[in-house]
Amino acid sequence: MDFLILAQLVVSGIAVGMIYGVIAFGYQLTFATSKTLNFGQGEALMLSSLVGLTVVQFTGYWIMLPIVLAFGMVQGAVVERLGVRQAIKTKSESGWIMATIALGIIFKNLAENIWGRDALKFPSPLPEAPIGLMGVNILPMEIVIVLGALAMMLAVETFNRRSIFGKAVVATANDREAAGLMGINTSLVITFSYALSSMTAAFAGVLIAPVTLTGASMGGALGLKAFAVAIIGGLSSGMGVIVGGLILGITETLTGFYLSTGYKDVPGLVLLLLVLSFKPSGLFGRSAIKKV
Amino acid sequence: MLQVENLVAGYGKVKVLHAISLHVPEGSLVTLIGSNGAGKTTTLRALSGMIRPDAGTIRIAGVDITGLPSHEITRHGLAHSPEGRRVFPVLSVEDNLLMGAFTRLTGSRPRGDVAGDLARMFELFPRLAERRAQQAGTLSGGEQQMLAMARALMLSPKVLLLDEPSMGLAPKLVEEVFATIARLKALRVTMLLVEQFAAAALEVADFAYVLENGRLAASGPAETLKHDPAVRAAYLGAAH
Ligand SMILES: Nc1ncnc2c1ncn2[C@@H]1O[C@H](COP(=O)(O)OP(=O)(O)O)[C@@H](O)[C@H]1O
Ligand SMILES: [Mg+2]
Repeated sequence: MDFLILAQLVVSGIAVGMIYGVIAFGYQLTFATSKTLNFGQGEALMLSSLVGLTVVQFTGYWIMLPIVLAFGMVQGAVVERLGVRQAIKTKSESGWIMATIALGIIFKNLAENIWGRDALKFPSPLPEAPIGLMGVNILPMEIVIVLGALAMMLAVETFNRRSIFGKAVVATANDREAAGLMGINTSLVITFSYALSSMTAAFAGVLIAPVTLTGASMGGALGLKAFAVAIIGGLSSGMGVIVGGLILGITETLTGFYLSTGYKDVPGLVLLLLVLSFKPSGLFGRSAIKKV
Repeated sequence: MLQVENLVAGYGKVKVLHAISLHVPEGSLVTLIGSNGAGKTTTLRALSGMIRPDAGTIRIAGVDITGLPSHEITRHGLAHSPEGRRVFPVLSVEDNLLMGAFTRLTGSRPRGDVAGDLARMFELFPRLAERRAQQAGTLSGGEQQMLAMARALMLSPKVLLLDEPSMGLAPKLVEEVFATIARLKALRVTMLLVEQFAAAALEVADFAYVLENGRLAASGPAETLKHDPAVRAAYLGAAH
């Protein structure tokens, strides 16, 4: 086995893995406050990425970023209002699953009608020639992906720990009724967590698009794999999604190279099935501190 | 300060409270006693909007708050230290207290001196001061009860609802909780105290209501009820 090839594969796997991690982090955000997930998370990513593709023609990459993040927030809030709120209110066990899937399909159709079905090239803000580092080729954009993903998660964590509104989000996640007694509008907190969740997906979308391609069909697989990562890492275990993302990203590139690209998607799903059968709280899931 | 007329509430089709009327005057300590399952917790839950009343009216300082969601009721100055304490286990002791002042810190209630009130809570509950950076989930039951009360006080409330603050605590801690309630009374905090531990509640309260199967069975000055033969037989006999 050639060590350089292995190192190269790992490096590529890290970038993809961080993307999975960020999207999975988005799943955690809504799960924490509402015990629901946006099963249209992949489509949220796709839609924002395509909006980014249109905006980037006018503004350039870096100014496009905040615009797309804002769009992602609005999109997430819409999903919560239309698809999730009613289901939470009526304590429906599955209403939100159907509703978020349905909204995802609608977003996909919308995208197909606006941008077509083909994969589209997303202009890269950085040189597309790889940098050689000790014999391993790294794309500048891959470095941005890793740093950007970490920065995004760190920003959300800092917000939750330091600001009074972030603490209100944590309080709502701990005990929604008690948070209401504090004067916290917990419905609004849940809408906000959906906005934040779609924002992280939007961010992941415009980070990965310059490396891969974008297009109306980019969301499904990403959303599903990130879901696997969220389960593997644990839906409530903070940074477990980074490790989960890296495990999946790296095994994927390794499988793709050493076995066949045809089997690229298999390890993630096998891992998902194994975790679901043997450790459903996730590899890193601790049981939450017991309420007394 | 708190005026409740003909409150009807329950869970879905099951009615628990059948037209309850209560009055908590400003600066007074009123207690609501009754046996397990009488509907005491349900009363407080209906008052603070944790469940929606089916009928009746609830007023705080003359303002009708009936049917509002709990976060809006809190903004009118009603604090509720719920049954089972319900502190936020992952947040630190200090952050739990800041959550109590959430409405003041975010502008939906007059801000006042939050830092000063925080310091006063740590004076009133020295054990919380020692543990201010600790996660609330790691506190003992007694400490969590203190925290739940302090957190509710951080609203600087017009009315404070206390649901069984003595529940599940060792006798020495029960004494401590009642001593704290007496101190709050001396500070003229308006309180509605729910207790199963009727003897102690009647000792500290100004006025009392007795709840039986969702209906008021008796009411009067605590001093009078303490000597009422029926009340003694039903609620004080077994306890002492
Ligand atoms: N969440 C609930 N759903 C249905 N019934 C409830 C619920 N909580 C309490 N009850 C019922 O309401 C009645 C009053 O309960 P509660 O108010 O908790 O009594 P107390 O606080 O006086 O012990 C009891 O019969 C209890 O079984
Ligand atoms: Mg009770």
